Amino acid sequence: MEKKLIIIAVVIAAIVVVGGISAALLLGKESKTTGTVKYITIAPKDMKAALAGGTIDAYIAWEPYVSDSVVGNVGDVLEWSDQIMPNHPCCVVAVSPDFLNGPNGVNLTERFLKAHIEANKWMADALAHPSGANYTALVNMAVQFTSRNATVVKAALEHVKYGYEMNQDFRNALKQFTDMYIDANMTTAAKLQDRGYSSTTDFISKYVNGSLLDAARSVTPSSTILNPSNPIRLGYLLGDLHQLAQVVAQNTTAFGGTSMFQKYGLLVTNATGAPFASGGTEMSLGFAAGAVDIGYLGAPPAILNHMNSGVKALIIAQANSEGSGLVVKANSGIHNLEDLVNKTVATPGESSIQFLLLRIALDREGLDLKIKT
Amino acid sequence: MDGKEVVINITHLSKVFIRDRRRIIALDDFGLEVREGEFVCLLGPSGCGKTTVLRIVAGLEAKSGGSAKVEGKEVRDAGPDRGMVFQEFALFPWRTVRKNIEFGLEVKHVPETDRADVSKKLIEFVGLKGFEDAHPRELSGGMKQRVAIARALANDPKVLLMDEPFGSLDAQTRNLMQKELLRIWSARRKTVLFVTHSVEEAVYLADRIVVMTARPGKVREIIDVPLSRPRDRTSREFITIRSKVLGELEEEFEKARAGELSPE
Amino acid sequence: MRSLTKSLSKVFISNWLRLTLSAVSLTVFLTLWWLFSAYLRADWPFQGVTPSPSTADYIPYWWDVLRAVGRSFVTRPQNTGGLLMSEHILASLKRISIAFVLALLSAVPLGLLMGRSRNAEALGRPLVELFRPIPPLAWVPIFLVIFKFFWGPIAIVFLGIFFPILLNVILGARSVDPVLIDAARTLGARRGTIFGKVVFPFTTPYLMTGITVGLGIGWMCIVAAEMLGAVGGGVGYYIFAANNTSQYELMYAGMVVIGMLSVLTTGIAGLIERWLYRWMGKK
Repeated sequence: MEKKLIIIAVVIAAIVVVGGISAALLLGKESKTTGTVKYITIAPKDMKAALAGGTIDAYIAWEPYVSDSVVGNVGDVLEWSDQIMPNHPCCVVAVSPDFLNGPNGVNLTERFLKAHIEANKWMADALAHPSGANYTALVNMAVQFTSRNATVVKAALEHVKYGYEMNQDFRNALKQFTDMYIDANMTTAAKLQDRGYSSTTDFISKYVNGSLLDAARSVTPSSTILNPSNPIRLGYLLGDLHQLAQVVAQNTTAFGGTSMFQKYGLLVTNATGAPFASGGTEMSLGFAAGAVDIGYLGAPPAILNHMNSGVKALIIAQANSEGSGLVVKANSGIHNLEDLVNKTVATPGESSIQFLLLRIALDREGLDLKIKT
Repeated sequence: MDGKEVVINITHLSKVFIRDRRRIIALDDFGLEVREGEFVCLLGPSGCGKTTVLRIVAGLEAKSGGSAKVEGKEVRDAGPDRGMVFQEFALFPWRTVRKNIEFGLEVKHVPETDRADVSKKLIEFVGLKGFEDAHPRELSGGMKQRVAIARALANDPKVLLMDEPFGSLDAQTRNLMQKELLRIWSARRKTVLFVTHSVEEAVYLADRIVVMTARPGKVREIIDVPLSRPRDRTSREFITIRSKVLGELEEEFEKARAGELSPE
Repeated sequence: MRSLTKSLSKVFISNWLRLTLSAVSLTVFLTLWWLFSAYLRADWPFQGVTPSPSTADYIPYWWDVLRAVGRSFVTRPQNTGGLLMSEHILASLKRISIAFVLALLSAVPLGLLMGRSRNAEALGRPLVELFRPIPPLAWVPIFLVIFKFFWGPIAIVFLGIFFPILLNVILGARSVDPVLIDAARTLGARRGTIFGKVVFPFTTPYLMTGITVGLGIGWMCIVAAEMLGAVGGGVGYYIFAANNTSQYELMYAGMVVIGMLSVLTTGIAGLIERWLYRWMGKK
């Protein structure tokens, strides 16, 4: 009886050991390629601790998670995202077609964009005068929104470029992202046809809608609320400093008791599920489920999830560009991208803009990016 | 008695336990000597503590006072020198007949081939040939008890303690097993302490019958059974002794019942 | 001879009946799935109804899912780590196996101890009750930082497997018939031997229940475990990544694979269980 038990235990152990070794050999083969950087997926909020604990050698994330490590002396920035790709698109404002085509949808969307424009202008002015009261007010809003201290927020704000315009570079970059996704098998050219687009250029020209933004420029303030019983349901990401414009536009205290949304006759409320944990969940739980009318999110999920499942979040304005950074452990001796070979970099996920930026940066140096095994 | 060594020596044995916050005296000043090769039956009304005596000698239960010695040594723990057979058979259901019998030898780290020799002989001896690889669930009650006896014998103990071993068998099997036990006992010359509540069984098996009093248990009377074996249950001598034992016992039954009815 | 053929055919018929019943339930399920997908797309036989395209994306036809399963073994989409499904399966099986062996090695002795000793039980019970109801998902970020990438996900799966085994072993060890222990003692067995030769064998059927339940929960934890920081991918990671990019066919493909792997491991556990029972004479 006991002998049989021992035999079972040995057999189980043998299976595990043999399986483990063969798995290690099988998976290990790939890791021997020279010039390969390893990546792993972690939530940005956990990256600082992972870097400090030595679990990872570097990470790429959005603000304030970059400055968080820098201010805390845990990490140094190896490259800011504008060094990788100047003026690269990041977060956008997107609208659900159901809302846009619904009652008063175009009017409400244009008013929303007007408030977005005004918030951006106010932020640009505040950031240009760091000694002014508006700057202090902005920092306070950002501190509350991100739950980070003022030092971190101030450092982070220096690296985010806020702006709403969508120029040709912006469109070209989005087209480049889409092509990269097709190359990487994250979506397919067949899906592009399924959605009714003849090419990636055709897709971007239809999916990015600049006419609403143009019309928004001439919107004037309204003394009455247009949608008192149907508030616009707003989607955004948890503590994402890139989406600060919607925080400003909702704020009442800094603007004499009337928010910018109210100024243009809008009632805005948090969508069910907002703030979302990632752009992917905002697309699937927010836009696809019909819970979000207008949302702030990264451009990649707005594109990728649309391609793959058909859910639409038409891109109608930019929210920010740049504002991400590749952070390495302080005093780690990593001075350039080549030093990252065989090291582990954490990213927020393969469908994030940060992952794309990392790929672009490494491609340029002729380095591979592969999942850590 | 004829100079044979005293194997079990119990003096002033007492056992007190607490049940429902009440102190119950199970045994009080119980004394008994059992000599080598003797077959002694403990008989008494239920609850008189006869099983407790057996369990204390087996080392399964601690005594509250007095002394219980086996081969001159105070009993402190259970051990393979005292084999025990239980009414519930207590066979290991996951072990075959052979592996049940070899249990004690395994514990002693006896080499496998030696174990097989011992179990093979014992299986033949108790009449279980052909059932070596059967599991207890496949056996009848009588066969199970044969396995249990063989298992106790495998350790070659000096003393065999039997706690109403045939209590759950039907009458016919019971008679057969009593005969078998006597055959085994006479062949192996073990010292047997046997608990029963059946007067007939006691008279059929024992050299001496210890009639115990109702709780608190002590020795009321020790009755010799000077009949030669095999005994005839219908003979006059057998019936005479049976009546005597029964008479002694009935008084204790009455006392036990009165005790149960009284508020104490 | 005649009775033998009779009983054989009886066995065959009863098995045949059961197989048919299983096939029927599976067919009903796939038919309902097909009807629902067709309804959402206003495909045959629902040409008349208004389609709901956004919901339809979530419910692909089941044959498309099966096709996606097949495709997952030959394509390497970057968003699922650029790995083949076979590599994901290997990674998950490795995680489950290691977690399972660790859970077995720790839960069995602990369970025997807590089942047999009141003091050990008093010592362990509060911690068990405190940690048992916490969903393993809740530990993800903490385990990742403490146990790092290799052991973090394993630790999450471990928790899922550990408690069912522990609780069943405690129950089993507590139910050991005391007369068996008495018997073992009179046969010369001491505490350690009694644990090995009486308590443990008696507990084995309970242990097997714990293993079957635990492995099921282990697979349930795999998505949470591999959601973040999973080294070398994994089927749970595959599901999470596919969901993140709204590739629902792939997501279902991952679910189908997990289901099959779970059936496989539970099947193996069941076989061992049946064999153990027969061998212990309990069947």
